[in-house]
Amino acid sequence: MTRWTMKLDGADLPDKALIGGKGWSVARMASLGLTVPPAFVITTKACAAYQDGKTFPDGLQAEIAEGISWLEEETGRTYGAGPSPLLVSVRSGAAISMPGMMDTVLNMGITPVTETALATECDDPGFARDTHRRFHELYAHIVLKTDAGNLSNDDTAEDWAAAIRGASGSELPADPVERLHAAVRAVFESWDSRRAKRYRKHHGIPDDLGTAVVVQAMVFGNMGSTSGTGVMFSRNPVDGDPAPYGEFLANAQGEDVVSGKFTPRPLDTMKDVLPDAHAQLLKAARRLEIENGDVQDIEFTVQDGTLYLLQSRAAKRAPEAALKIACDMLDEGAIDEVTALSRITPDQVRSLLAPRLPERATETAEVLARGEAASPGIGIGLVVTDSDDAERSANNGAAVILARETTSPDDLHGMIAAMAVITERGGSTSHAAVVSRALGVPCVTGCGDGSVTALKGQTVTVDGANGLILKGALPVQEPDETALAGLVKLTRIAERMSPVKVILPENAPSNALDLNRIDGGSEIQRLPDLLKGAQIAGGGALSDDKGIAIAVQAGVTAIVGRPRLPILLAAIRAGAVTEDRETVAVSATD
Amino acid sequence: MMKDPQLALHGLAIKKHGSAAEVAAITGLDATATEQHLNAAVDSGRAMKSGDKYMLKPAAQVALKMGYGRDFAGQRSDEALQKAYDDFERVNEQLKSLITEWQTIEVGGKSMPNDHSDAEHDQKIIDRLGDLHERAEPILDRLAAGLPRLGVWKDLLLAALEKAEDGDIAWVSDATCISYHTAWFEMHEDLIRVLGRERLE
Repeated sequence: MTRWTMKLDGADLPDKALIGGKGWSVARMASLGLTVPPAFVITTKACAAYQDGKTFPDGLQAEIAEGISWLEEETGRTYGAGPSPLLVSVRSGAAISMPGMMDTVLNMGITPVTETALATECDDPGFARDTHRRFHELYAHIVLKTDAGNLSNDDTAEDWAAAIRGASGSELPADPVERLHAAVRAVFESWDSRRAKRYRKHHGIPDDLGTAVVVQAMVFGNMGSTSGTGVMFSRNPVDGDPAPYGEFLANAQGEDVVSGKFTPRPLDTMKDVLPDAHAQLLKAARRLEIENGDVQDIEFTVQDGTLYLLQSRAAKRAPEAALKIACDMLDEGAIDEVTALSRITPDQVRSLLAPRLPERATETAEVLARGEAASPGIGIGLVVTDSDDAERSANNGAAVILARETTSPDDLHGMIAAMAVITERGGSTSHAAVVSRALGVPCVTGCGDGSVTALKGQTVTVDGANGLILKGALPVQEPDETALAGLVKLTRIAERMSPVKVILPENAPSNALDLNRIDGGSEIQRLPDLLKGAQIAGGGALSDDKGIAIAVQAGVTAIVGRPRLPILLAAIRAGAVTEDRETVAVSATD
Repeated sequence: MMKDPQLALHGLAIKKHGSAAEVAAITGLDATATEQHLNAAVDSGRAMKSGDKYMLKPAAQVALKMGYGRDFAGQRSDEALQKAYDDFERVNEQLKSLITEWQTIEVGGKSMPNDHSDAEHDQKIIDRLGDLHERAEPILDRLAAGLPRLGVWKDLLLAALEKAEDGDIAWVSDATCISYHTAWFEMHEDLIRVLGRERLE
């Protein structure tokens, strides 16, 4: 008889096609000897069998019950009952990740009874209440695909269920086992969702592969003084310093860190309260960095002194860090030259070389207003308060800064014309912020009523990265790519690997094609035609990575432009297959 | 009820600066008819044309807004429609945060622009955008029940979403095409004008 489920205890590493990417990641972490919250997986075969009659195949229910019993044994907790209730997460995971699949449902197993038990156990009734409410919201959102509005902690579970019934027309089962079955069914159904089907068709993925379902015990960082939660990076993601970096919050859950209710403390503080878990964490981070060949971003929870790794993935990093980490790991012999070049993007190099205010410039300049740093970059110009004015002045060659109370779609033309956008109201999700980022225009928002529109007619310097509006036109510096050691080193390597040469504009030969001087030269669609027969070209659409890729394909041998490294990197990327970055990712939080 | 020539001007007001085809696309009007309406507005001094793009003159803007109370009296007194708009506002907040997540990433507690070098990360957000779209669909249907032409937004949103899902990420939030965010924002503007609401920031 077919087995429909498997324990993810690391004893073996079954094929991704059978247990899906997420299940595989949990199993891989466990097989490296790292502690992950216990989990079992319902295989892709069960999903394929479900699609035949849209019912669970024979034996699946019994196996789910077996799996839950195993989780109960491993954790010493009970599903759907006190005094130590077991809560689980349910997540979908196909061998290939695709859109439209069911998102993660957390806190499965919480009921009025287990809420009370959890409240006693962690001595925090508010947390138990939040956990219970959050389950209802997630169930409505993810399993029933409905928006039941914001539920209130003052209402009862019956009230929440009624709100969900009102919004969706569907019933939330009262029995936690039935809820689990409903979530598994929802994962199987999501395999056949509009988006998943379209994606498979578009990418030629067979419809009968099926998705797996990972059921994993949840762990709690708020179980007292020997518990806690945090995030760590195996190297500093802001400046690239090779020392571990992170944050820790004792006796707290991940949500507490995200919500800003508590301020996390530097990772070092964990050493004082939980020295063993701290030492294990550093060791695990080292191991994962070596296994995955890249800087890791690790989420973890300590429950009653035991360290659990929830997720580990390649860390996102600031441009400065990307450069330092690529060079350091190359020097250490951890990665090869090709990999080092793939660890920094052309845009990150451009950002390192982007014009900036000299250090200390903001200390001496007069700050006219400050607000939220909504979109980085330096913009200098004359303040105007009307989008039509902005467009008109810009068309006449003037550099303008658009200052508005707030912006709306009516202001788009002004925002496109401006060197920077500054507003009095709104935060980092306001229209001004969102559209400025989409346009790549520096933006500072929420400077306060009457602050920036009053600057009309003045010349100002906007520092989008620091949220400052400074008096006058300040001098800006353009970093020199030949003065930064890391860039020089990567440029030398890139020159050897790039399918094209880069020629600086002042050295361009007379037969070079200058797209800036050709009508339509900046239109990427016309590029293949314009490049016909050209050996050396630059300007226009070649200032864009996509344009560089087209030039490489068209057989151009040299590109005229500066700075050199972004062009070389874009050309190398155009010729290379994208690196498959297999990460060991397990998450109980997203 | 708004007549077609008025509706063309209303569409132009939302676009601010747009071609007849662009105005037709968001109002559901026929493209040729839209062009005739907009040309008529140019002839009577209510709009200007440069290239193939039209723009409403300030006085016509004011006149249009003043007429809304009459044009949309039925919608403004429609409780179900007003309630649907309140629900829309809630999803609108979720969309704004999602677009911010699309554009910025957190690095060690510091926010910086997403340079879209991590396709997997982008894919996840597009997936969540799809989730959000599915939650928004019933609300969009309720809005279209109160004013059928609003149904065009659902099609524009889905078209943008599918382009993004197929890998053309410009269709998430680029300001220069009818990306998901552009369509959503213009739809929001349309709803605000129809229902006489204020934009919250």
